[in-house]
Amino acid sequence: MEVILMKELLEANDKLAEENRAYFSSRHVLAVNLMGSPGSGKTTLISAVARELGEIPVGAIEGDIASSIDAENLEKQGLHSAQINTCGECHLDSRVIRDGAEQIDMKNGIVFIENVGNLICPAEFDLGENVRLLAASVPEGDDKPFKYVPMFSYADAVALTKCDLMEAVGFDRANFFKGLRAVSQAPVFEVSLKKGQKTQGIKGVANYLRKKYESLK
Amino acid sequence: MHELPVVLDLIRVIKEEARKRGFQKVTQIHLVIGELSSIVDESVQMYFEIAAKDSPCAHAKLAFEHRPAMLKCQKCGKEFPHKKSFQCPDCGGDSVLVKGTGREFYIRSFDGQ
Repeated sequence: MEVILMKELLEANDKLAEENRAYFSSRHVLAVNLMGSPGSGKTTLISAVARELGEIPVGAIEGDIASSIDAENLEKQGLHSAQINTCGECHLDSRVIRDGAEQIDMKNGIVFIENVGNLICPAEFDLGENVRLLAASVPEGDDKPFKYVPMFSYADAVALTKCDLMEAVGFDRANFFKGLRAVSQAPVFEVSLKKGQKTQGIKGVANYLRKKYESLK
Repeated sequence: MHELPVVLDLIRVIKEEARKRGFQKVTQIHLVIGELSSIVDESVQMYFEIAAKDSPCAHAKLAFEHRPAMLKCQKCGKEFPHKKSFQCPDCGGDSVLVKGTGREFYIRSFDGQ
């Protein structure tokens, strides 16, 4: 006998994601799911945005397959951070977020959930975030929006990082935008955080998040 | 890569639904998978065979129904399934993704006795 179900898979994850969302909301916290390839500059972006946000407290839940390098680095800079090691899993899911959130015990601020460096799997899992921010770096190449459609199409905002390298790596900016605009209307912030040089574009990311934070109920 | 948690969820749901209906055995499960959901049939199949062992779902056949992401040409308005290119097959214009398409990921039905 055939039984019609029409039941969403990932339901268990999505249910926990809703609980996380309610948890963050009850604490007046804006949760930002920060995704991107390994080495795209996610952790650097968090530190720079935190400095730029000034009066708004920033915390971070760091997801990595192994090590606590990122959380330790951010702690040194005065950010409350929790490290989650996924022990081989390629993404964070909503189950592990609550532990991290309770560790940093944040209220009235912005919490970055730095996902495992990966342009594929993290796009599938709702963590209970308010904003999905994608860090796409220039050296990855201008064709990535054409190749990783799910990730680029799900992002609410894109930080195009390492823009100081555009000329050096022959990045075709127009082609990047062509690919991105085919799948998304998300705002793009062109960022450069090269050490020893004037930073670029980070104010745009910070202002975008500040506005989102201020519009929390 | 991330199919294992998905398969565990699938087995949990089907076991529960089969129990509710008094089924001893599940013979087929029909899944609908959108192109943008990044789920690979072979991986689902592999994990399923391992994880469904000793459950009413063991030996159930998995049927995969694929749904494409749809694109809309900005020039002539034609809608067409995304294959390799974002160029319209009719007029060659650039197209954009139709929001929400290709993201399906659900159990359509199952057969049991």
